[in-house]
Amino acid sequence: MNGRRAALLLLLAVLVALPHALPRFYTYVAAIVLLTGLLATSLNLAIGYGGIYQFHHAVFYGIGAYGTALMLTRTALPAPLGFVVGPLAAALLSLAMGVVCVRLSKLYFGMLQISLGSLVWVTVYRWYSFTGGDDGIHGIPLPDALGSTGGAYYFTLAVTVLCLAAMRRIAASPFGKTLEGIRDNPVRSAAVGVDVRAHQLVTLVIAGFFGGVAGTLFVVVDTSVFPDMMFWTFSLEVLIMCLLGGMYTFFGPFAGAAAIVLLRVFASHYTSYWSLVLGVILTLVIIFLPDGILGYAVRRHRAGEARSA
Amino acid sequence: MGSLGNLASSGTLTQILVGLSRTTILFIVSSGLTLILGVLRIPNIAHGSLYMIGAFVACTVIQTLGGGMPAFWAALTVAPLAVAALGFVLERGFFSYLYDREHLMLLLLTFSFALILGDLVKIVWGAEYRSVTVPAFFQGSAELFGLPLPYYNLFLLLVGPVIAVFLWLVINRTRMGKIALAAAVDSEMVSAVGINVGWVFAFTFVLGCALAGLGGALIAPMVNISLGMDHSLIMEAFLIVIMGGLGNIWGALLGSLIFGLTQSLGILAWPQFGIVFPYLAVVVVLLFRPKGLLRSTW
Amino acid sequence: MLRVESAVLSFGGFRAVNGANLEVTAGEIVAVIGPNGAGKTTLFHLITGHLSPDSGRILFKGREISGLPPHVICRRGISRSFQVVNIFPRLTVFENVQIAVLSRERRTFRIFSEVKGMEADEVHSILRNVGLYDRRDAESDLLSHGDQKVLEIAVALGGKPELLILDEPTAGMAPEETERCIRLIRRLSEELGLTILFCEHDIGLVFEIAKRIMVMVRGGTVIQGSCEEVRRNREVQSAYLGETGGC
Repeated sequence: MNGRRAALLLLLAVLVALPHALPRFYTYVAAIVLLTGLLATSLNLAIGYGGIYQFHHAVFYGIGAYGTALMLTRTALPAPLGFVVGPLAAALLSLAMGVVCVRLSKLYFGMLQISLGSLVWVTVYRWYSFTGGDDGIHGIPLPDALGSTGGAYYFTLAVTVLCLAAMRRIAASPFGKTLEGIRDNPVRSAAVGVDVRAHQLVTLVIAGFFGGVAGTLFVVVDTSVFPDMMFWTFSLEVLIMCLLGGMYTFFGPFAGAAAIVLLRVFASHYTSYWSLVLGVILTLVIIFLPDGILGYAVRRHRAGEARSA
Repeated sequence: MGSLGNLASSGTLTQILVGLSRTTILFIVSSGLTLILGVLRIPNIAHGSLYMIGAFVACTVIQTLGGGMPAFWAALTVAPLAVAALGFVLERGFFSYLYDREHLMLLLLTFSFALILGDLVKIVWGAEYRSVTVPAFFQGSAELFGLPLPYYNLFLLLVGPVIAVFLWLVINRTRMGKIALAAAVDSEMVSAVGINVGWVFAFTFVLGCALAGLGGALIAPMVNISLGMDHSLIMEAFLIVIMGGLGNIWGALLGSLIFGLTQSLGILAWPQFGIVFPYLAVVVVLLFRPKGLLRSTW
Repeated sequence: MLRVESAVLSFGGFRAVNGANLEVTAGEIVAVIGPNGAGKTTLFHLITGHLSPDSGRILFKGREISGLPPHVICRRGISRSFQVVNIFPRLTVFENVQIAVLSRERRTFRIFSEVKGMEADEVHSILRNVGLYDRRDAESDLLSHGDQKVLEIAVALGGKPELLILDEPTAGMAPEETERCIRLIRRLSEELGLTILFCEHDIGLVFEIAKRIMVMVRGGTVIQGSCEEVRRNREVQSAYLGETGGC
């Protein structure tokens, strides 16, 4: 346990030192890794812990980003308010969609969510006068402190760490444990008195909120938003991040997100066929390691402990 | 005043007919998707890639044979067959081992296939878009209430019902089709009476893929054939399948009609947001009938 | 305590439960017996809210409960185990029971307190009671079938029920496991004063522990009475005991 804490502290120290050691572009990439990791972790709260088929999580990421972007570009209200509005808008949308969707389960849930999410996407995509349509919004003005790549990075790092800590806390709470129970066996959960739908709804709102935070961070890092952020292929990509790292672990999705973002950045240096590489890796993972890479490692580790004990 | 109203309504009619011809493509592709979803329980995202491959193959065939009607018919034959062969490999090579996996896993597996197939298309055909012209026979337009309706759209309008009847015959009049239908409802039962479900699944999968290929071949003369043409189509096909009822071919037909018509009428009514209407229609349908319009086989 | 009055439920044209009557008074052990497909499990599903009756009434402590969702019925004081093992496979034995306790204490919405060790005393005492204490940290998926069936009961006990419903508690158990399970059910009744309603295939076992027996045939109640009354009943003899005479 102590070794783990030390490792986390070391990682944190490296992350803090990063902008001093790396060129600007890589600081930007690191910030993208952080916020994408946050996004994947928020999705995993629903899909890995709750077993909810959240097929269109990118919508909340997108609404978080657009909410903030629109507040910053279209109103004269103070910027921090915009940073709050984005995630809250995402949480609210998540609540509204959730109320409709939780009546259904599994694939039907996912399908209905895809439909609703696509409606949101296509509206943003076509509403030129308000959202900028398929061009999105670029050059979003930020407070001076966040204007530099370094400033944006540290802000992202701080918020991500905070959010991860909060989600870790939630995962380790009675609520989180109950959620795992619902994932494993919703019928049994109801039979011991758990209101399954209410718990799922709360989970969706939490996941949507943190997804929205990730979207807001994207605005800070990239100063732009565009509708592709909430196109459903991106939702699938985030799902894949969870799967790759391991849905039944807390940090797996973060690791998966880092792997995919970095793979895209670096593999695209060497080959224009990086999605082929990703597809092959994924196929192998799904067939041979359905618990994900980190999940597999954890299982091996546990099995090893059990044997030595 | 009277003639203006007349023009508006005939414009509406042509718009509807153009919408219906697009519906044909949507129906062909989504019927394949719903077959696979209904019988094999695979939400096959790679279905869009197969459609794209169908379009590219058709394009290559037409360009190799130098255009003209024979080349066009050859393309309509070769593209579905080629895609069906690819589907056969995928089914026997991968899916046949993975039927008992969770839907989520299958969804992501087919997504990774879509990633792979997308890049394979890029390797084989390059990243530039291609186009083929409509064969001379179909060039020109029919005059309908004073407004032009391209012959090719008319052709598509005929193809739609032909495919629908063909599918009906395959499912209700062939042994394989009946078994597939039974397997969709209860595959354990079917295997319990001694039928090799594996081959039924393979047959269904291959048939579904062939439909995707056919859809791609039919759309080829109408659009720029490009990477990424799979993304928007598979999304629409999925929505149609959900709206119609998972696994129900008539649901796919109904869904395609609703999707195609709301889109063409939507564009007429409010050009900027025309494309929003079909999505809105899907949501409205699902709010009232969350499991789709027609009975799903799930 | 529990009263089922002419409950009816049909699936399509088939009446799975067809005028079932049942009465359970506080503190007793009541068994429901009947041939395969008589509707025993369906009747239990009606009582615990997993299905709603087409007609008829189900009263618990004098209040109508038919048609309420399962979690509400559980909170009224009815816990159950399932015929087919129905636990939380990825969670440990401890956590399986813990969820039931947390749910009863209405703590499942706490999102910022640490769940580890919460309610440990009660969970441990339940696990000791059923004999799974030593395996508390094992993933429940890895338990033997017999232990999983016992865990079923332990999870149900986590709800501190007034009425415990057990759906074929010994199904698929080895003889010595069955023995252990029967002793457990007896003890729960005697020491905790639990009211227990169960159904069971093994007639010998039923007569051994039940105070009263309800016989179900083709969805309807044939008779409910003491073991003696049931044994003497002609209809039962011909309809049921005769058929399966051997066991």
